[in-house]
Amino acid sequence: MLLNYDRMGGLQWVLVFITVLVSLFLILPVVFIIALSFGSSQWLVFPPPGWTLRWYQEFFADPRWMAAFWTSAKIAVLVMIFTTALALITSFALVRGRFRGREILRAAFLTPMILPVVVVAVALYAFFLKIGLNGTMTGFVVAHMVLALPFAIIPISAALAGFDKSTEDAAIVCGASPWEARLRITLPSIRHGLFAAMVFSFLISWDEVIIAIFMASPSLQTMPVRIWSSLRQDLSPVIAAASSLLILLTLVLMLLAALLRKKAN
Amino acid sequence: MSAAQTRRERRQGIGLAIPAMLVLAVFFVMPVVSLLLRSITEPEFGLQNYATLIATSTYAKVFWNTFMVASVVTVITIILGYPVAWMLSVLPGRWAAVVFAVILLSMWTNLLARTYAWMVLLQSTGVINRSLMALGIIDTPLPLINNLTGVTIGMVYIMLPFFILPLQATFRTIDPSTLQAASLCGAGRWQAFRRVLLPLSLTGVLSGGLIVFVMSLGYFVTPALLGGTSNMMLAEMIAQLVQSLLNWGLGGAAAFVLLVMTLALYAMQVRYFGAPGQEKS
Amino acid sequence: MSDPFLSIRNLGKSFGSVRAIEDVTLEVPRGEFLTFLGPSGSGKSTTLYAIAGFLSPSQGDVHIDGRSILDLPSHKRNIGMVFQRYTLFMHLSVGENIAFPLRVRRRPAKEIDAKVDEMLALVRLEGYGDRMPAALSGGQQQRVALARALAYDPQILLMDEPLSALDKKLRDEIQFEIKRVHEQTGVTILYVTHDQEEAMRLSDRIALFNNGRIEQVGTGQQLYNEPLTRFSAAFMGNSNFIKTEVMARQGNFAAARFPDGTVVKGVPVHEQAGGGAESVLMVRPENILIETRNEGSGLPATVTNATFLGDCQLITARTSWGEDITVRSVLAPGEMGTAARGEAVRLIWPNAGSYLFL
Repeated sequence: MLLNYDRMGGLQWVLVFITVLVSLFLILPVVFIIALSFGSSQWLVFPPPGWTLRWYQEFFADPRWMAAFWTSAKIAVLVMIFTTALALITSFALVRGRFRGREILRAAFLTPMILPVVVVAVALYAFFLKIGLNGTMTGFVVAHMVLALPFAIIPISAALAGFDKSTEDAAIVCGASPWEARLRITLPSIRHGLFAAMVFSFLISWDEVIIAIFMASPSLQTMPVRIWSSLRQDLSPVIAAASSLLILLTLVLMLLAALLRKKAN
Repeated sequence: MSAAQTRRERRQGIGLAIPAMLVLAVFFVMPVVSLLLRSITEPEFGLQNYATLIATSTYAKVFWNTFMVASVVTVITIILGYPVAWMLSVLPGRWAAVVFAVILLSMWTNLLARTYAWMVLLQSTGVINRSLMALGIIDTPLPLINNLTGVTIGMVYIMLPFFILPLQATFRTIDPSTLQAASLCGAGRWQAFRRVLLPLSLTGVLSGGLIVFVMSLGYFVTPALLGGTSNMMLAEMIAQLVQSLLNWGLGGAAAFVLLVMTLALYAMQVRYFGAPGQEKS
Repeated sequence: MSDPFLSIRNLGKSFGSVRAIEDVTLEVPRGEFLTFLGPSGSGKSTTLYAIAGFLSPSQGDVHIDGRSILDLPSHKRNIGMVFQRYTLFMHLSVGENIAFPLRVRRRPAKEIDAKVDEMLALVRLEGYGDRMPAALSGGQQQRVALARALAYDPQILLMDEPLSALDKKLRDEIQFEIKRVHEQTGVTILYVTHDQEEAMRLSDRIALFNNGRIEQVGTGQQLYNEPLTRFSAAFMGNSNFIKTEVMARQGNFAAARFPDGTVVKGVPVHEQAGGGAESVLMVRPENILIETRNEGSGLPATVTNATFLGDCQLITARTSWGEDITVRSVLAPGEMGTAARGEAVRLIWPNAGSYLFL
């Protein structure tokens, strides 16, 4: 009875009530931000007295915001490419390899995922200061790559593990060299895993705050960094506009990933 | 031919992992280790930095704040999240999909955007205070921001999805016929809950709670933005020590403490509940 | 004598301390359909994979047309292979699947198109070129796999239990197709299966594998009627193994005495090395005659079970020392049975249909 929705009796109403409350709790701030970004009040009054596109115009007109936007985009794309490539070959080792300590290695690769990001950020900050990579594009990309790697390895190795190696062997027997077989047969077959890895690594870099704060320099700022420093000064609605754009992009990419996953099933 | 070939075949495949291993070794392991080394070598060799952390009231307070907030956040998350996870596992398909979408959307929305939303909402002239005053519940605005209350509210908001999603998976593994069997045996609803459902869902609760606790300990963005400077939490303290005060020794020490706590709790998690290794979605 | 087309010499493969195959030697003439038959784990797939190049043998050599292929990587051996699990390239169409080996060999487009059509016709799937593999049935997918394997005119076609994933009716159908394709193309085929009926239906010869070694090689008839070892006799068809004691032995024949004193003379003998087990006399159920007059020569026994199976009667008869012997009696039209339960009978069989395994 307790696990049967229709036979719960009074309990059902209690649970539904709490669920609705929590769901509203979870969704309202997101809606709120998006609404604020179109509100005409500069003091973030809600409900807003009027509607306007002014904050978006300000955003797109501001060279610093635009610079931050493109910096974020550049870094995220580079992170996406390098992380996915690295995760791909690593997954081959983790899935196909037969060596001692394979499971330990797999766990080791997942470690950046579980450690507090601030520790990683500070450690890399110190290291990059020493070797002069701080405030550089390279430093940024490498730092984000370390963070994103586990999130790329997981879907790719899952896809690779689910792929029957005999198909690759069949391609080899047909005359393709091992690498040709992997390129023409294996890769297309695991493309849903590759897409997931690309989306995840892109988003992780795009949304990343802490490492970005440490890696940033006055001339190299990502969107999250700009938002962060703006937030510490005032709460202008332009930030709401910037945030809404961030939300939009994430939403689009997540929907894309979900759609591709459904198609793969 | 045999011995060498067998050895070669046994080491087969590790080659492709080497680039990633190098990247992680140079850009992850080494920096972290070197940071920790600095904690015992700066300004001079020894454990003074750790002693300072414990002895100085300002730093000790930060540890205390962090621990307390993490605990409170965990408890509140469990209380709010348990019913939702329960409901999510029994809701008919369409509604479940809606709730799922809400949770996922909230989880994947940019962290800064979400925290910013709370910054606006929790202000003294913000929506929450004004609505409460309009309803006559309070006369003067509640201080909901720049203190640990605001941090707690914000953190619960962030952590709920991380608790609800794994827990509802646990709920789904519980066979409803166990409860039917219990009621056939004569158990009333409260008893069935206390003796059957609760124990069966407990591993999910504890494991999820542990995840939330560990994450809260090390969280940076939300506490930094919603808390005041007098209520700093551990992550922000580490950042400040290193970036503003350039005190690598102390900052490294604090980072090491956080690291050890995280690893210890994670090890506990793996030992009792199995490795999570879940992807976010 | 010219070199046989395919020559497998002393092939051996160990995985650590486990010997998967040992001392496998076989000569296969061009165009033969040879089946590797045996229980799971007997080494047949291992041998096949060594020939394909997915395993490097620990010892031995494999020659095709006089040349060793072991120094060639898999993709240069020009061998066709059909796997158990179809292994079609799901993201390519049927036509593209078949074309794949030709594209990899950089053949001109016209040649590829012609060959694809030819192959589709060969496996009787004309017009299926544009379909995707996921839209095909299991049997159709396996036929595409066959077409793909033959598209580049390989020297040898390897087939690793290709029909075990199909249901019985489909299996019979595809067996027929495989046989037809073999006759039409004349390609040398090495076929792996654990189903002895399938082996007998399809092959020119059968190599029986047991525990990593080849137990016996021969035609289906040879393996069935002249099994050289206990294992061969037991694996092919059904056999009775009756406890006996060997008496006078003259060359390849001996006399055997059963525990109840009955003596049989002139039985062909097969020595089996390293037996350790007691001697047995093997005789097939269909070779035993039931003599209902309980007198004369023959082994005395009592019928404990008699089942009418339509075309024959399956009888279990128990000897005086408690061993059960199965007899398969073909019935004449209208005949209901040769013996009834409880009847005391005598079992007779010709010496040519029995063997003594020491």
